[in-house]
This record gives sequence, structure tokens and C-alpha cells, in this order.
Amino acid sequence: MSEILLTTTVGSFGKPEYLQKARNAVSRGKASPSELEELERKATEEWIRRQEEIDLDILVDGEMYRGDMVAYFADLIDGYREGGLVRSYGNRYYHKPVIASKVSRRKPMTVDWFNYTQGLTDRPVKGMLTGPYTMLDWSYNEAYKTRRDAALALAEVVRQEAEDLERAGAKYIQIDEPAIHARPEELDIAIEAMGVVTQNLKAKTISHICYGDFAAIYPKVLDLPVDQLDLAMHNYEYRWLKLFDKDPFTKELAIGVVDVHSHRLETVDEAAEGIRKGLKYVKADKLLPHPDCGLKTRTVEESLDKCRIVVEATKKVRAEVAKQAVA
Amino acid sequence: MKTTVVGAYPKISDEHQDLRRALHKADREELDDAGLDAVFDDTTAWAIGELAGAGLDIINDGQIRWDDLLAPFAKAWRNCERGPLERFYDNNTYFRQPIIKGPIETDGQTLVRDFKFADSTPHGKASLKGAVCGPLTFATLTAQDTHYKDLEARTLAAADAIAKELAGLKAAGAKIVDVEEPALAAHPELVDLERAALQRLAKPGVTVALYPYFFPIDKIIEKLDVAPVGVLGVDVRSREASDKAIEHLGGFKGTVSLGVVDGRNTRIETQREIGELVDAALKQLRDERRLYLSTTTGLEYLPHDVALKKLAALTHAARVTGGVR
Repeated sequence: MSEILLTTTVGSFGKPEYLQKARNAVSRGKASPSELEELERKATEEWIRRQEEIDLDILVDGEMYRGDMVAYFADLIDGYREGGLVRSYGNRYYHKPVIASKVSRRKPMTVDWFNYTQGLTDRPVKGMLTGPYTMLDWSYNEAYKTRRDAALALAEVVRQEAEDLERAGAKYIQIDEPAIHARPEELDIAIEAMGVVTQNLKAKTISHICYGDFAAIYPKVLDLPVDQLDLAMHNYEYRWLKLFDKDPFTKELAIGVVDVHSHRLETVDEAAEGIRKGLKYVKADKLLPHPDCGLKTRTVEESLDKCRIVVEATKKVRAEVAKQAVA
Repeated sequence: MKTTVVGAYPKISDEHQDLRRALHKADREELDDAGLDAVFDDTTAWAIGELAGAGLDIINDGQIRWDDLLAPFAKAWRNCERGPLERFYDNNTYFRQPIIKGPIETDGQTLVRDFKFADSTPHGKASLKGAVCGPLTFATLTAQDTHYKDLEARTLAAADAIAKELAGLKAAGAKIVDVEEPALAAHPELVDLERAALQRLAKPGVTVALYPYFFPIDKIIEKLDVAPVGVLGVDVRSREASDKAIEHLGGFKGTVSLGVVDGRNTRIETQREIGELVDAALKQLRDERRLYLSTTTGLEYLPHDVALKKLAALTHAARVTGGVR
């Protein structure tokens, strides 16, 4: 594994058609959950092999067993109930969960999947969790009087899971907070809740933030107690980097260099230029190129192509950095 | 005291998923434009039926054809197009940011066909209002603009275009048009620019119902007492301190559309909760004819079954607190 510009991805990949069909079959009662899980394991292994083949450095399980990043956990946390369908965009709908009573963790939610996935590869696999603030913001809250109360209760659940992942051997634990800029006035709540989650962790902690007004929470977001921020940048034409001119970025930066909501495939040069922009602000050993966000809305082939571009662009820039170091 | 809604209604329910299926078919090129149009119309009629059936006094068409608040305008206006995907304020829903490549131009007919269709759809005793995206919202959410020199110029250009849409809706029979302006609530510091834009919306002579939602507006209510704002939507429910806005209602001389039912949370408001908000508002307004009861935002942020329950809570509250029915 290279020591600079480690490549990774945000978490999800496109699901193979056989898995989509199996999920539909289970929802219609025409297949069993155990049959589905078998296929989820198969799809997960396929994605591990693909990531190795592409030569990504830090891997993910691809979330073949998850639908929505909040609903997956909500299904496994006591106190939640499934909500009805709401539209996210276009013709996409999801079951937005409801916090119906006080929340508590029933049992570990991702540890078995982490153990399975890490057992398939020698490369590090990230433990992947949804952060407490996003769990709150993307749920309906019927149970807690204040949003802070709800966020802190959820933080306790996520803390237990994160510590179990660390005990299972996770060297990287990603606690995603894509909703963190939803209400900038509540940033302190998100920071406090994340502090509950990461307070005892030794693993490298990461938080993915995307699709919102990052400027509204910067530089205060640097107080989020994680080692690495993982940011969508390509979709914003890297404009968030300019914020670092005034207030220097102080963490590791996972930088998005390809768009995940477009069928268009970026060129290697285009992605490489994104990495070079990042290098103006963050050293190569603290900069991790990746796609802007999870790739679950793309097909398997599109997901692969986007990741290949990230890796090829990174190798190109690594060579440039090595050359400069020699010079 | 009349009841009304703002914004988009759920496009599907557990039982009624025709539009979702039709859009999938259209994506796969198994359904042509005419076929898709027919499903849009059927779904609009379904939404209107539900809104009217709930006993609301003033309804909209549910905005079933709107992919997002900006989409009809970004699609229809010349020199505009729909650009990158972005999260819509503090919601886990997304919209496409407009791109402006030249002067915004419109014939003012963007919504006329849909308004006429909605008006021809049975809607009982309810009256039908129109809706447009607010100029500040369109201007601030634009991703790229290679034509206008700054936000002010872009906002005023959008206001001129929206004024033409208002004229078109007025000619089609609309007496009230909602101007949905979340950007004003998100950026209360831009209230003077909004006032300038509103002056341009006065020209067609239609009653503007201004809805700055998602964020508190208590600090700018008095500044919105300006022509042509005949109705001002004020959320007094959705946040922990939303009811603070009630203290400022006396500073607005028109009709207040009091958002007493949270369009973004599933907990159903009790009659007591709504009643207390209504009583407090009436102390400020002193005339219940100047008070509408409404949702805080569109109901599309809720599952359909909950949206129906919210409407029932709203209309029941109006009846028990002295509504017109």
C-alpha cells in the first residue's frame, strides 16, 4: 500500500441485478431472508475482489445488505418504527423511519458484516456507520422533546456499535454525517454527539459530509471529533477548498474527485487535477482521493469505471509527487 | 378562519403508485410522453380530490408535475436549464440547481395549462390557488449564472419572469398565488432585496401569498408588510422556538397563514396544541378573518397516510376553533 494519496471510496456501490431481483422477491414473499443474505455475501465478495483488482487501498463492504443508510440502522434499533414512503428526488422513494420511543441498541448491527468482509481481504476494510445527527435529521422524531436529546440518545447507540467494530479489528471507522449542514445552528449538537461516539476509539475516525452548504459550517466543523473529513468536492467544482485559504484545514481530507450522480465518466486528467487542487491545502500523506459520495445510484459498471478513474488519476499524481520529492 | 395548504402533496400512496410506475416505464422508453402526461393528470386529479375531500377551503393542485420547486421554471424559461443535484435546504430531498446562460425570458404560460386543468377537475367548495417559486429562492439556488452580474440583478430578473407567470395565472382565473420563498427564511438578511422583488410581483394585480418556510422568520415579519403580500405564511410549529413568531404577527396587516401543522414530522398535532397557537395568534391579529390555518410546508415530506392525518387535524382544528365550516 502506498504511503501517500491512499485511495478509498465512501461506502456504497451499485448492486448487481441478481441482488435487486432477490430483494424484490423477498419483499413479495417469494424468497427467504436467508436466501437473500447468501446473495448479499456473494455480492460483497465480488465487490471486495473488484476493489482489489482496481487497486483501491482502503476498502468498503459496498453495503450490499443495506438499502438506505438511515433505514438500515433504524430497522435494527429498538425505539424506531418503519415510516411510509417519501420521495428523495426524481422518482426515488425511501421509507423514512420514525423515532417512536426511546432508542437502544438491540444487538451489534454491522460487526458480522465487518468480520465477514475483512476476512475476505488483507487490505483494510472500513467500519461504516451513520452518525447520530444524521440518524436524527433523516428520521421523524416523535419520542424526544428536543433534537439534542434525540441526537445524544442515538450517539450512545452508535458509540456501542463503533466500539464493537474496533474490538472486531476495524482500523478505520467511518461515521457519516451528510446531514450535518442541514441546520448550521445545530452544529454544536452534531459535534457533541460525535464526541460521545468517538471518545474511546483508537481507530482512525472519519466522517463523510456531502451535498449541502459546507461553507455554512466551516471552520467550526473542524471541531468535529474525527481524524478525517470526507468531502464531496468535484460536484462543487472544488469551491470549498477556497475556504481553506482563510482558515487552514487541520484534519486528513478524503477528497471527492468524480461525480456520483452523473452517468458521465470523468477523464483521468480531470480527476488528477482535482487531486492536485487538494494537494495545495493538504499534504499527500493526509489526502485520500475518492468519489464524491457512495456509488449506489450507479450501476456496477459505472461504479467500477468511476473507481478506476480515481485510482488511475491517483497513480499519476503520486508519480508527480515522487518526482518532485526527488527533485 | 379558512384552511389551506402550501407546496407539494405526496405523489404516491401505498395503494396509488401509478405515477411511480409510469415514470419507471418512461425511463425504459415503454411509455411515451402522451401516456406519461395522462398519468400526471390522473394523479393531479387524485391529489386535488384528496385535498378538497379533506375539507380545506383553499387548495392547490398538489404540484404533482413538479420534480422540485424550481423545476417547472428552470425547464420552461429560456436561457435556463436544470443543473447539478443538491440537497434542498435541511431536507433529505434533492433538487436540480438552475443554470442561467442568458437573459431569463418567459411567455408567462409556464403553469397556465396545469392551472386550467386543475380548475376543471372537481374540487367541491374549495377554491383553487396557484403557486410559483419565489425569485430569491430561484436566484440563490442557481448553480451557475453567466449572464447577470450579481445576486440582486439575478433576483430581480427572476422576479420579472415570475411576474409574467403571475399574470398568466391571473388570466387563467387564479385569484391567489403562493410565492414559495424558503430562501428568504434561510437568508433573512436579504429581506430588502426580497421587498424590491415583491414590488415587481405587484404589477399583475394578483394576491400574493408569500410563504418563507423551513426557517424562523420572526425577525422579518414586520418588513414583509408590503404590497403585494396579501397573505403571509408563518410557521409557528415546526421548531422548538417557532412559536416566537406569534409575538410579531401584529406587525403584519394582511392575512396570516398560520403554519400550525408540521409538514415535516409525523407526530400528529393535538387539537389542544393547535388551539393554543390559534388563540395566541388571534390575540395579535384581533380578527379571525385575517387568519388562515395551514401546514408549515408542503406535505410531500411526509408519507401519504400521515399527510392525510395532518389534513384531518388541520380541518378539525379550524372547525372546533370557530372556522367557517
